[in-house]
Amino acid sequence: MRIIIAVCAVIVIVAVALQYFRPGFFPSLASSVAAPFWRAELSIQLGSLLTNSELLSENEYLKRELADLKVISQSATTIEAENEELKSMMGRGSTTPYTLAAVLMKPPLSSYDEILVDIGADHDVAVGDSIFAPGNVLIGKISAVEGQTSKAVLFSSPGQRYEVEVGAKHAPAVAYGRGGGQYQAQLPRDIDVKEGDFVLSPSISAKPFGFVSSVETDPAQPFETVLFASPVNIYELRWVLVDTTTMNATE
Amino acid sequence: MSTNVKRAFRIFVDIAIGISVIFGWWFLAIPLSAVGAWAFSYFLEAIAFGFIFDLLFGAVPGMGLAAYSGTIATIIILVIVVGSRKVLRK
Repeated sequence: MRIIIAVCAVIVIVAVALQYFRPGFFPSLASSVAAPFWRAELSIQLGSLLTNSELLSENEYLKRELADLKVISQSATTIEAENEELKSMMGRGSTTPYTLAAVLMKPPLSSYDEILVDIGADHDVAVGDSIFAPGNVLIGKISAVEGQTSKAVLFSSPGQRYEVEVGAKHAPAVAYGRGGGQYQAQLPRDIDVKEGDFVLSPSISAKPFGFVSSVETDPAQPFETVLFASPVNIYELRWVLVDTTTMNATE
Repeated sequence: MSTNVKRAFRIFVDIAIGISVIFGWWFLAIPLSAVGAWAFSYFLEAIAFGFIFDLLFGAVPGMGLAAYSGTIATIIILVIVVGSRKVLRK
C-alpha cells in the first residue's frame, strides 16, 4: 500500500511540475488523443452515416439551394468588388486570407465559454488571431494553440472586453462579455442609442459585432447601459473563419 | 457484489467517464464520478479525469484557478461523497 501511495505521489509531483514548467505539454497530448474522437463526432453530425438515398436527396436539395444562393450572392459580390475597388483606390485594400475551421466544441458543452476549432499550429494559427462567424462577424480570439486544434475565447465570455462602436453615430464604447453571446456597454446618456442599432468593431472595414437588444436608462445616472447580442447564435456555430494574419503580421 | 463483478463495474464506469470527458459531457461525468466515489474505494481516477477535462477544454494561460475547475470539482465531489458515505455507514 505504501508503494502505491508513493508511486501516486511521484506521478502527481511530476505532473504538477510538467504542467508548471511546460504548460503546453499535457494539453497538447490530451488534444492529440481526443482529436480523432472529436472528428468522428463532427463527421456524424455532418451526416456521414446517412443512407445513400438520403445523401442523394440532400445533395439534390443542396444543389437547388446553391443555385438560388448564387443568384442572391451575385449582387452582394458586385457590391463587395466595388467596395474593394474603392478601398484599393484609396490604398486600403483588404487582402486578409481567412482559414476555415470546423467547430469541434462550443458552449454550453465547453463549460468555459470557449470554442475548440480543428486547426492549430499546422495552419499557422497563433494566439491572438481573430475568429469570425459566418457573415464576417467578429466573435473572439485564439487563446491557445495545439498541433491540430486551437481554443478560442469568445468576446462574450464573462470578463472579456472589446472596443466597439455603437449606433449610427459610431459612439465608441467598451463591450463587456456577459456570456452566451451577450454583451453590455456603458454610454453617456445623451448619445441616442435605440433597440436594433448595430454595433461594429472599429476598423476601416467595420465588421458587424452585434445589435442593440435593450437600453437601460436611470435618470439618476449620467450613463446608460446598452445590452447587445451577437448577430450569430454561438450555440449553433459549426464553422468559423480564423484570421491567421492578425498575429503573424505583428510578429 | 463479487470482486470480479465490482472490478468490471468499475472499468465500465471509468470508460463511461472517459468518453464523457473526451466529448465534454461534464453533466454526465460529474454524476458518474459521484457514483464511482460512492461505489468504489479510492476512486482517484476521477481526479485524473477532471484534470484531463481541464487540459482539453480549460487550462489556458491567464485563466488562473478557473482553468482547473474540473480537477477542483472532482476533488470536492470525492471529499463530499466519501465523507457522507462514512457518516451514513456508521
